[in-house]
Amino acid sequence: MLETPQASALIRPAGMRRTTGGLPAPHDECFGEDGRPRTQWASMIEAIERLGPSRLSARWDEGLRIIREHGVTYNVYGDPQGRDRPWSLDPVPLILSAAEWRILEAGLAQRSRLLNLILRDLYLGTQRLLVDGFLPPELVYSNPGFLRPCRGLPVAGQVLLHLYGADLVRSEDGGWRCFADRTQSASGAGYAHENRKVVSRVLPDEIREVSVRSPSPFFRNLRSILESLAPMGRENPVMVLLTPGPLNATYFEHAYLARHLGIPLVEGADLTVRDLRVCLKTLAGLQPVDVILRRVDDSFCDPLELRAESVLGVPGLVQAARAGHVTLANALGSGLLESPAFLAFLPAVCRHLLNEELMLPSLPTWWCGEAEGLRYVTGHLERLVVKPAFGRRRGRIWFGHQLSTADKARLLDLIAARPQEFVAQECVLPSSAPVWTPAGFERRSVLLRAYVATDGADHAVLPGGLARVAASEDDPLVSMQGGAGSKDTWVLRSGDDDHEEALAAAPAQGTSDRRLTGLPSRAADSLFWLGRYTERLEQRLRVLRCVLGQLASDTSPETSGLDDRLGHLVAGIGLLPLGPDSTPARAVAPAGDTEGHDPEAPPSDLSARVLDWVYRFDGPGSIPDLMGRIRQNAAAVRDRLSGDTWQILDRLVPHPEVPLARRSIAHALGLVQGLILNLAAFNGLAMENMTRGPGWRFLDCGRRLERGFSMTALMTAAAFVHGAPTPLLEMILDIADSGMTHRQRYFASAGWDGVVEVLVRDVSNPRALAFQLSALRNHLEALQDEFRVGVDDRWSALVEGIQGRLRSSGSNPAPPEPEGFDRHALIALMETCAQGLAGLSDDLTHRYFSHTHPRVS
Amino acid sequence: MQHLLYDIVHVTDYDYQGAVSVSHHLLRLEPRQTSRQRCLQHEFRIFPEPTVVTSHGDYFGNRAHFIAVERPHGSLSITSRARVAVSPAFLPDTSETPAWEMVRARCRVDRTWAALEANEYTHASPLVPTSPEFADYALGSFTRSRPIFEALSDLMTRLQADFRFDPTATTVSTPLADFHRNRRGVCQDFAHFLIACLRSIGLPARYVSGYLETDPPPGLPKLRGVDASHAWVSLFCPGIGWIDADPTNGCYASLRHLSIGWGRDYGDIAPVRGVLIGGTQQILRVSVDVTALPPAEESGPTMDTDSPADAGSADASGQ
Repeated sequence: MLETPQASALIRPAGMRRTTGGLPAPHDECFGEDGRPRTQWASMIEAIERLGPSRLSARWDEGLRIIREHGVTYNVYGDPQGRDRPWSLDPVPLILSAAEWRILEAGLAQRSRLLNLILRDLYLGTQRLLVDGFLPPELVYSNPGFLRPCRGLPVAGQVLLHLYGADLVRSEDGGWRCFADRTQSASGAGYAHENRKVVSRVLPDEIREVSVRSPSPFFRNLRSILESLAPMGRENPVMVLLTPGPLNATYFEHAYLARHLGIPLVEGADLTVRDLRVCLKTLAGLQPVDVILRRVDDSFCDPLELRAESVLGVPGLVQAARAGHVTLANALGSGLLESPAFLAFLPAVCRHLLNEELMLPSLPTWWCGEAEGLRYVTGHLERLVVKPAFGRRRGRIWFGHQLSTADKARLLDLIAARPQEFVAQECVLPSSAPVWTPAGFERRSVLLRAYVATDGADHAVLPGGLARVAASEDDPLVSMQGGAGSKDTWVLRSGDDDHEEALAAAPAQGTSDRRLTGLPSRAADSLFWLGRYTERLEQRLRVLRCVLGQLASDTSPETSGLDDRLGHLVAGIGLLPLGPDSTPARAVAPAGDTEGHDPEAPPSDLSARVLDWVYRFDGPGSIPDLMGRIRQNAAAVRDRLSGDTWQILDRLVPHPEVPLARRSIAHALGLVQGLILNLAAFNGLAMENMTRGPGWRFLDCGRRLERGFSMTALMTAAAFVHGAPTPLLEMILDIADSGMTHRQRYFASAGWDGVVEVLVRDVSNPRALAFQLSALRNHLEALQDEFRVGVDDRWSALVEGIQGRLRSSGSNPAPPEPEGFDRHALIALMETCAQGLAGLSDDLTHRYFSHTHPRVS
Repeated sequence: MQHLLYDIVHVTDYDYQGAVSVSHHLLRLEPRQTSRQRCLQHEFRIFPEPTVVTSHGDYFGNRAHFIAVERPHGSLSITSRARVAVSPAFLPDTSETPAWEMVRARCRVDRTWAALEANEYTHASPLVPTSPEFADYALGSFTRSRPIFEALSDLMTRLQADFRFDPTATTVSTPLADFHRNRRGVCQDFAHFLIACLRSIGLPARYVSGYLETDPPPGLPKLRGVDASHAWVSLFCPGIGWIDADPTNGCYASLRHLSIGWGRDYGDIAPVRGVLIGGTQQILRVSVDVTALPPAEESGPTMDTDSPADAGSADASGQ
């Protein structure tokens, strides 16, 4: 409550905390100079006081849970732990008043118009800005962002900059300044949208109470704008979002935006240029693409005409654009204006091109490539921040006031050697906002990235944007890569806004007609391998569980000799090698399904090696390796997996830190059991939640193939193990989860005939080899019908052949062995089946997933 | 002599291992029109027949052809045939040319189209870095107020003394600094190095791709750069224009230098650039024949050109 003394208040004014080098104090986002809350913040501060720390904490735990559930992540480059780091969000939004936003909105729209005019002059026009001296030629000609092959490419509606992002900072005087223009492919709008989703579930009443503008109309506008860009005004254009792939920092957002805009998420390898048209490779054939919303940097988009080493692009894309057959948003070459050096010239260029003053000014910026700028920078280093002029991402940023004398001299030398590569900006202390931490509220620097979408005529500004907060109280840099967090941004509603938003929302309603239905080949490939790897992991875990169970229960392995046979069995299926005693298990990678093995060598200290496998082994085929492959393939089809499915995958964590002392057979058993249940949940979700389209079929094909392989390996390994069969056969039934089936049918202890019947021939047992073959056959026939890939019934013949062999092996019992069973016939049959399955897998891959990467010559 | 006529046949053959399912190529092989050169005829013969052939003027004013072969192919053969007429190049009296510092200053401040175009070529480019080392080498010739082309002549003379032509020393991807250190290389290295020297002291220099006629007239030394495309340098001077200089041979461009086009460096004007989908390896064979045509009124045997050793591949390429 406002009346309560400030000592008990959760959020307090920043006060005079910072005293850095006599710089003015930063602007306080929520409190005025008088220490009273700013109007737009009053009700939020009241609400937080009302909640109190414990209830706020509890509510925010809910928010963090939603973030994890939605799988909102951000990848940090060069950090082994950095893949898929959970998105960092603060519960308290940044709040802007309607009046302030109106001014910002106009300024953002003006910048968007201005930057587009500059791009138009440099890429389409006569470069009057250089001739007339408004921009130094060096700024363009020595700029790696100026893509010469893109000059003169036809551009729909003369618009090159469709989606623009502005990085804003509020300086000490309370005014917003733009310190960087994002013209390449501004990231973060999707995160901003997701932030709103999370915060609105944590603070639902507060949002309603103050009436916050919704981000949704902006995204509907964005979709309509993209549609309007189709070459030659094509109706219902085919649109795609081009991503660099799951390793990119903001891949979550790419998948999120694609799903939200209702357009496929594709990688460069999914596209190909045929007859000067960009086409999407789908299972149904090549589908021409009209509009590409790109999140791949322009210079990486075409190895033929741009960066030859790029594997993210599409060879021939520039030529397709030149032919006017595809529109890219933003246009290729637009990244040029990300060079901060342009900021130094915008005020004059704005007056010249628009006959207006720049409404949203840039942070004062000097380019050292100009004599005047160079003079100023060398003379005022201590109050400047020096950056690479051409926006090279890895360039160092120098804070003048923190430099030692030696560093200052070094920087001056660097500038003197290549002045055009440096730019300096006035050092401001960003405004501060409260950030909730486990220790209560802290003050952090805050920056805002705002977004404008345009078709050239109208400008849609995302109300709010992505607010980013520094990683710590004293961190001057707010970088997502450096660990910064984010905030939702609330723009309060005024009377006029309702009307505008209703208008904006209207036209996009009936545009859900989507021509593109084909499943991209790469997605099919990933689903297939997702099926294979999850099944492979499950199979491994089942064997481990069985072995661990035996080790836990069997108190005298020497007497039963079971330990020995167990060792042979797990070695036979390639789970553990039968290594010489001194060799640690990990030294020999149990890679393949049918690893060569020496059945004569005795296993040694089985339990130690099994534990090593569970807790430490990370070579090919290990738990972490398979989990990595599962994640990789799942990530590639992220836009096709439900949130629940993703959550399950998120729970697959390899090698949790378990202290040595706690490692035991019993503990490992629990660990393995937990993973098996998670995989079961994943399989269940896939069965229940995926429509029975081609995507599901490929996923299931992968699973069936893998299960078939496992069964052949298991049966082969068992047949190689000599000695009394019953306990071993029971273990095999257990591994295959078919002990119950067997008991119900035979009411007896396991014998070879019964086991072969249940695990190999039984078409009704979902674990049996015959079941896999029959399921595969169904899938293949359905896929052939759907895609009319010739009328080749080779697959059916193959499957039928295998099934036939199984039947005949049953009807012609071979000469009885001691146990009355012909192991050699079984081994030979399993070998045939494995080969047939391998051929099937190759054929499937060859037929549907041909997506080799291009090579540059 | 008003002009000379030449026939150029430039064959590029690729043999692939493993079928290439789709290939896209960008060709810069059609000789451009220049102040001293007319391209009278040009044609491509390409096998297999491309699905798409289209051409455009590129950023630097060169003609570029885009070809796409969209069905599996095990080889690709591109034959470019041109007939070109060349007139003598204008060469100023080098001692009468402006001081080089003046050229540098004019290219910085002038905003005429010509000066802006020149400005483009004063900066480092992907294959031609600038550095104080290159500047130092250049300043050995570009002494104070020295006439720009006198200095250039001197620089080329030093290059001839300091560097050796050696086709085994470098590849297309050898960095320029290695050439500087090892002092051996081919015409592309000589051209890139000279450009780096000139740009490092702020002068506009561009990379010219073309051909050199190699049949030596009696009594003249045989020029190097035979059997393949050639490359040289062009330096700009306000009021004079662009003057072509061949650092590999230490001379200015003659009637025997035939241009295809130019750019900032080899990357902008590579004769053939391609991206393959499928296939594993490729074997490349290039043969170039430059034949001077006899003047119309004279009769007599055609001069023999130095045919390259492997140029007997005239059977290829769907004649």
